Amino acid sequence: MTSESQYDIGIDIGGTFTDLVCRRPGEPMLTTKIMSTRKNPNEAVMQAVRYMVENWQIAPEDVGHFLHGTTVATNAVLERKGARLGLLTTAGFKDVLEIGRQMRQALYGIILEPETPVFLAEGKYRKEIPERVGSQGEVVTLLDEEAVRVAVRELVEAGVQAVAVCYLFSFQNPAHEARTREIIAEEFPDLMVSVSSEVDPAFREYERTVVTAFDAYMKPVIDRYMEQIESGLAEAGIASPLQVMQSRGGLSISAVARKRPVRLFMSGPAAGVIGGTIVGKMAGAQDLITVDIGGTSCDIALVDGGRPVIRSEGRIDGYTVRVPMVDVNAIGSGGGSIAWLDAGGGLRVGPESAGADPGPAAYGKGGEKPTVTDASLVLGYLNPSFFAGGTVGLDVEKARAAVQEKVANPLGLGLEEAALGIHRVVNTQMVEGIRLVSIRQGLDPRRFSLVALGGGGPIHATALARELKINCVVIPRYPGVLSAAGLLAAPIEHEVSTAFPAPLDQLTLPKLREALSDLDRQCAALMAHEGVPADQVGITYFADMWYLGQSYHLEVQIYLDDPDPLARLYDDFLKVHDRVYGYASKAPAGIVNLRTIHATTAEETLGEGAYVAGEGSAVKGERTIRVASEPAGIVASVYDRSKMQVGLRFDGPAIVEQADTTTVIEPGWSGEVAPDGNLVLSWTKGAN
Amino acid sequence: MSKTNGKSSLDPITVEVIRNKLDGIANEMELTLVRSAFSTIVKEGLDASASIFTLEGETLAQAIAIPIHLVTLLPMVRHLLAEKPVSEMSEGDVFVMNDPYLGGTHLPDIAVIMPVFYEGQPIAISATMTHHQDVGGMAPGSTPTNATEIFQEGLRIPLLKLMDRGELNQTFMAILRRNVRIPEVVTGDLMAEISACSIGARRLKEVAATYGNNFLISVFDELLDRSETMTKEALRRIPDGTYSYTDYLDNDGVDLDCMVPITVTARITEGDIELDFEGSSPQVRGPFNCVPSGSLAAACFALRAVTDPDQLIPNNGGCFRPIALRLPPGSIVNPNEPAPVGCRTSTIKRVTSVVLGALRKAVPEQVPADPGGEEVILHFGGRRADGRGFVTSQILIGGSGAAKSRDGVDVIETDATNCMNIPAEALELEAPIRVHRASLAPDSGGAGERRGGLGAWLEYEILEGEMTITYRGERHFCRAAGSEAGEAGGAASAEIVRGDGSVHSIPSKEVARMLAGDRLIIRTAGGGGFGDPKKRPRNEVRADIENGKVTAKAAAEAYGFE
Amino acid sequence: MAGKTIPHEVDPILLEVIRNKLDGIADEMEMTLVRSAFSVIVKEALDASASLFTVAGEPLAQSVAIPAHLSMLVPMVATILRNYPVETMQEGDAYLMNDPYDGASHLPDVAVVMPVFVEGRPIALSAALTHHQDIGGMTPASVPTNATEIFQEGLRIPPLRLLRDGQFDETLIALLKQNVRLPDVFMGDLNAQIACCSIGARRLKDLAETYGGNLLSALFADLLDRSERMVRNAIAGLPDGTYRHELKMDNDGVELDRRLTIKVTVVIAGEEITFDFTGTSPQARGPINAVPAGALGAGFFAIKAITDSSIPNNGGCFRPLHFELPEGSLVNPREPAPVSCRSVTLKAIVGCVLGALREAAPDRVPADASGELMLVHFGGRDESGKPYISSQLLAGGSGAGRHRDGTDVIETDVTNCMNVPTEALEMSAPVRVHSLRLRTDSGGAGTQRGGLGCEQTIEMLSGEATMTYRGERHFWVSPGHAGGSSGAAAAGWIDRNDGRREEMPSKMVTQVRRGDRVTIRTAGGAGYGEPKARAAAAVSADIENGKISQDVAAAVYGRS
Repeated sequence: MTSESQYDIGIDIGGTFTDLVCRRPGEPMLTTKIMSTRKNPNEAVMQAVRYMVENWQIAPEDVGHFLHGTTVATNAVLERKGARLGLLTTAGFKDVLEIGRQMRQALYGIILEPETPVFLAEGKYRKEIPERVGSQGEVVTLLDEEAVRVAVRELVEAGVQAVAVCYLFSFQNPAHEARTREIIAEEFPDLMVSVSSEVDPAFREYERTVVTAFDAYMKPVIDRYMEQIESGLAEAGIASPLQVMQSRGGLSISAVARKRPVRLFMSGPAAGVIGGTIVGKMAGAQDLITVDIGGTSCDIALVDGGRPVIRSEGRIDGYTVRVPMVDVNAIGSGGGSIAWLDAGGGLRVGPESAGADPGPAAYGKGGEKPTVTDASLVLGYLNPSFFAGGTVGLDVEKARAAVQEKVANPLGLGLEEAALGIHRVVNTQMVEGIRLVSIRQGLDPRRFSLVALGGGGPIHATALARELKINCVVIPRYPGVLSAAGLLAAPIEHEVSTAFPAPLDQLTLPKLREALSDLDRQCAALMAHEGVPADQVGITYFADMWYLGQSYHLEVQIYLDDPDPLARLYDDFLKVHDRVYGYASKAPAGIVNLRTIHATTAEETLGEGAYVAGEGSAVKGERTIRVASEPAGIVASVYDRSKMQVGLRFDGPAIVEQADTTTVIEPGWSGEVAPDGNLVLSWTKGAN
Repeated sequence: MSKTNGKSSLDPITVEVIRNKLDGIANEMELTLVRSAFSTIVKEGLDASASIFTLEGETLAQAIAIPIHLVTLLPMVRHLLAEKPVSEMSEGDVFVMNDPYLGGTHLPDIAVIMPVFYEGQPIAISATMTHHQDVGGMAPGSTPTNATEIFQEGLRIPLLKLMDRGELNQTFMAILRRNVRIPEVVTGDLMAEISACSIGARRLKEVAATYGNNFLISVFDELLDRSETMTKEALRRIPDGTYSYTDYLDNDGVDLDCMVPITVTARITEGDIELDFEGSSPQVRGPFNCVPSGSLAAACFALRAVTDPDQLIPNNGGCFRPIALRLPPGSIVNPNEPAPVGCRTSTIKRVTSVVLGALRKAVPEQVPADPGGEEVILHFGGRRADGRGFVTSQILIGGSGAAKSRDGVDVIETDATNCMNIPAEALELEAPIRVHRASLAPDSGGAGERRGGLGAWLEYEILEGEMTITYRGERHFCRAAGSEAGEAGGAASAEIVRGDGSVHSIPSKEVARMLAGDRLIIRTAGGGGFGDPKKRPRNEVRADIENGKVTAKAAAEAYGFE
Repeated sequence: MAGKTIPHEVDPILLEVIRNKLDGIADEMEMTLVRSAFSVIVKEALDASASLFTVAGEPLAQSVAIPAHLSMLVPMVATILRNYPVETMQEGDAYLMNDPYDGASHLPDVAVVMPVFVEGRPIALSAALTHHQDIGGMTPASVPTNATEIFQEGLRIPPLRLLRDGQFDETLIALLKQNVRLPDVFMGDLNAQIACCSIGARRLKDLAETYGGNLLSALFADLLDRSERMVRNAIAGLPDGTYRHELKMDNDGVELDRRLTIKVTVVIAGEEITFDFTGTSPQARGPINAVPAGALGAGFFAIKAITDSSIPNNGGCFRPLHFELPEGSLVNPREPAPVSCRSVTLKAIVGCVLGALREAAPDRVPADASGELMLVHFGGRDESGKPYISSQLLAGGSGAGRHRDGTDVIETDVTNCMNVPTEALEMSAPVRVHSLRLRTDSGGAGTQRGGLGCEQTIEMLSGEATMTYRGERHFWVSPGHAGGSSGAAAAGWIDRNDGRREEMPSKMVTQVRRGDRVTIRTAGGAGYGEPKARAAAAVSADIENGKISQDVAAAVYGRS
């Protein structure tokens, strides 16, 4: 998507840092980090632009694409900064949002917490509208338009800034919701509205209500946010339109994105997964598991055949939100996870974390509980004087003391033995987490490559790979700014789906084509905003399918060019079902939803071999480390990542240090620096 | 499959000898079945039967304790042969099933079927069917009168191998034992069925040893053809034409307030007969639906009764060839799954009398007035004070209809059923019950020149604990019609007199709880009368009064007797 | 890795590594089980669970969405091992059973158990329990509230071999298919169970390849001991003493006017705890009898709930628990007493046990929850004659704790089922749902308010269906705690299309026809502390959000 001589700018705003990357064909990629501004994130964007102009001498008019990944949506929820929201429901069902599915998370809880996002719209902000559509889409009770007017007036009176509408079976017949939207527009032209038949036209009213409410809840926030950035860009003289990353891993022009805010929840992480995908492809791997280990959690994502695995629903702040997003799964194990002994004398690690404050004992901020990071230090993985590029000093003694007192002594183990134990336990938890994520998709991790991200990923990478019987590990050149880099290579993508309940044996090809071309029209309309020539847009179709009688569905691609598309669809469904659930009977199946995706093709690299290493010797010394296979300790040579030339080969045990992370290469692994600067590690002790 | 009656090359004596042997074998099987049975209903009620089939599934011989069973084994044997060709069977295989929607009758009737081999060659099939005391389900005895789905009536057994080359199917036995209330009794009767089949098989082998396979099989064909020919000839003696008749069941046990019509139209043309049940009630919610096997049995019996009252025609599949049935799907005579069928006996009996009623129009002198036509099935189930469980049954019937030639017979099994009642002594041994009365019910016979047979009058008392009784009556609301100006027989009735004296009357069908001290009083229906009562010889009326069959009051009113 | 020899002292780290793996395996099994199920009750209500057992029949790891399942597989696996000693098992076998008088809990719960072989030696068992939609018997869905004998409740399956060399026992399958109302759904769920067990087996094999079968078996034993130690510690943490509690149940579904009593005496002595149910009602004629597995699960749940929920679930947890279950009583009935609706009793049992323990741990035990999981089944045929069975499960409110309000409409104690969405219900049966609402004023008043119950109205759109209604807390609501009031009682009625209104006396089986409307109200949770002491702001918020009415605010909370 890059046109000659123009720059692509990628900006990813995270909790702490805002990453900026800039690329022009044939030139090295420029990257930098600046502090995020929690108060108004767009401030950071503007700083970044200024930085770009001043430090890189890039003229605003030379900017071809301005690409953005953001966590603003998620933060709005975490900080409850969304709109004061009103909810309209079918008469009799105003409490669906609050009752939810009545299931509890705490299995053994007896003093219970609410499980539903009532904060979106408490009782006083929920109104019932007389109307009813039946399960076949037939109108049972006509929409009471006057009731809508009255309800909305009362809500606005009560101070709502946005309205969500979720009527029963609107996915079968959206007429009443559409009309309601019109009426609201007549009453209050500026009031923001989300209707469930547009946000998530699929069955199960509670889940649909939640996602629709979240959409409306964030609309004003996202709208204001985009507004500010765009005006900022205008000021700075950048003409190119703002494009933002959506949860599925595709870019969208802000004009469209702000209309569908729930699709931005995973904007940041999605960019990271795309980045990981590209890095993997550069290393020649299409099937990847990206593992991003931070202080408190470990984010796991899958890439199958070069395509990030998409899940049909995700969890935001513990609430299930049914919107397609890259399948990023967080498990509560990270560098800050605390090791403790349970009453049975068992060694447990996490989920409690020391976080950044007080942080691991080694931070010397008063933390006394041993963490995974402390163990890493004891085991010799980390260089106390070069942690986070030397910005954070680590106190080895505090780390040793914590591990010794809290773990080694009570268990009657040696210090190193205990530290190693902490790693083995946390690694097992991560391994099981990774397994579950991949198995849930019916994918066998063994044939995957592992892409290690975040500050902690590269420390655990080879150990995890070993247990998962994975033979190839990739450490990106810039694990820190991979999200921003991912933006540059991401496709522009729009997706439109609709409920389409149809048993296969009653479905005719013409009916299917008709439904799909209808979706295509809507999708093309969205794509039109992007100004992409039609010939660059690829179209793929998907059907959510189930065995008649089941109620969880699987996404299966539709091939209209196949001699017999419907037969192909059924066969593929059987294959997927067998993959995911371990069996497939020739029972009758049906389609639940149809989906069309219009997208430009993603790029294969992050920049053509423009990696240049610094001068001087890559080896900066050696130190003793302890790993599961060498509990007694083994001497590893220590490398300086910035000085490792393309093509450099080396064998484990080894340590590679760089500003934003440390890579531990266990014995049995060997590494090589790829042309693009990525580190590719492979298992040398033969196949598993 | 019908053949024209070409002159046979076979020696008629040998053929006759073999026919007698076959009947003998069937009877011996039946005897084994009854003698080695555990359950009262079989031992005393003879509710079991045996027969021999050709490899094509045509009846060769049948033990005739209960006509209702005879032909009803046929659809199951046919189902077996359709599912599993004889070629795939081996010696020592035994099959079992009871599912009405696969050819069975109702769930308590479990069929055991065994292919018979001689010198490795299959030559025939021996089969038995027993009404088991209990096959689980919602009421002890497994014929709940208030069932609305077959799933409530007990364990459904599809066609299964009970034995594989002599090996008993343990999985089946385990499930069976676990799902019936009295496993010992049920498995005992099942074993009795197996041994009966084996006896049949052994005897057939002997015959085959004497005459040789192929000869035997050609004799089988000959026998079937002969019976077919004779039946056709008999039918030709009935004037061609179309005859219709309708009678009713009290209700279906669930919707107690609506009577259930059964209508048949008999079309007779030169020795062939078609029985069309168009116009009969749609299938009912209650368990009185009758799968085709039952309707077939009823129709076949009725025809034999008319065409061959003196049993001259060898009773085998040939007799049924001239008969065509039209059973509207979804009707009470051909219900759709999963309609309940547990109590279909009442329906079969009514189907029989309806067919007879239609034929009466063709040959009035050969067909008597309508019979009491009820077979009261009574189950007592519960636990004794010491916790021991029991399930036992009684079978009660009414009087037969009067004919031109003679009075109806009192308290006698008619038409498609032929069960003995259970002696008071047997009953009292089985369960904590005292029988206070078992007598004839005065005035219950329909008045007429020929009087209808009397119904019975019984009284039971519960002695211990509590029990569930299942009462299944008929003719409470629709009496047996008289013929040629004869009057209808008396209606049936039943009531529970509670220990506290309160009386609860049973509306034809009910599952009720009875406690120690409660009494159950039952009157069965009488048969219809024949001809004008006023024409009845006075001496006979007098005799009836003297013998307590007719009260003086009734004699005056109905017979104008001074 | 730690090598393939058994260490003298089991390495605690390796132990934790293995434990994490076993939990991972159980989760993977559960996922397969639930997601590939066919029946609504599993898909929407998650009424299914997966476990790993030692060859001695002790649970190693369990993944349960419903705590009641915790103990249920234990006696079933024991029965299967008794009938098919592990040394007679072969690779490729699987076993099946559902008979409560052989260790199961009620007929719809069918267990599949599969031995796991390593180097030709069985090292563990992989098991799956699923509540099947229908197992035959008197009423669609096989939980007739008016049954008086187990024979009326459906097909009884003794312990039998389902698979040998991976091949079905054809006889068994034929009988199963013939005796359930929805054979396709049944087989779908059964296949899901087999897939679930196979996955467990496959994963365990991998584990054994890494660590060796012997070492693994040794570790299993140690894991059990460890959980036992933790439970003993937890119990030791509770004050010794004798604690009593008693509560009533509406009726048994058959003798509608007879209330039943659950009575427990909990004796805590050092590291051991005894639950004595002497004084509990004799077994009922109706189907609410609970076989011993129920009390077992309830006791264990209560301990975990008030002590340490991080205790890994396995057989070791049960060792310090002792039970006195009077023969022939509600909590230990004699064959052939009916049991299909025992879950109402399970909830009563756990409610009773918690009530007793409230004295021992007042801060950790809230006021009584509604303790009701309303269950209603509709079974019939739609206009096209296709049979359907559909169910709804609705919870009441939870009890208020000393420091927080109860939660509205939430699953409590041993059950944890999702409700069925209106859109799922209407697509699976010819019914129309008219409402799902919180019940204003149903939460027990108190300084901390009890959680609200809910109300739903369902109308029959066509034909006729058999409806099985199983409610509880219609006639008896437990008192609030420390001055709080009790929650509102449950209620239910049918508005017949001819205008008549029929009350539903807590439990019933009836026919509903076109136009009939069934209304269900679940009970509220009890309150904690004096209502007058409730914060004014909280009261006003409750009024604004429609959780309490002005009248109640004034009358009960003294709001002027």
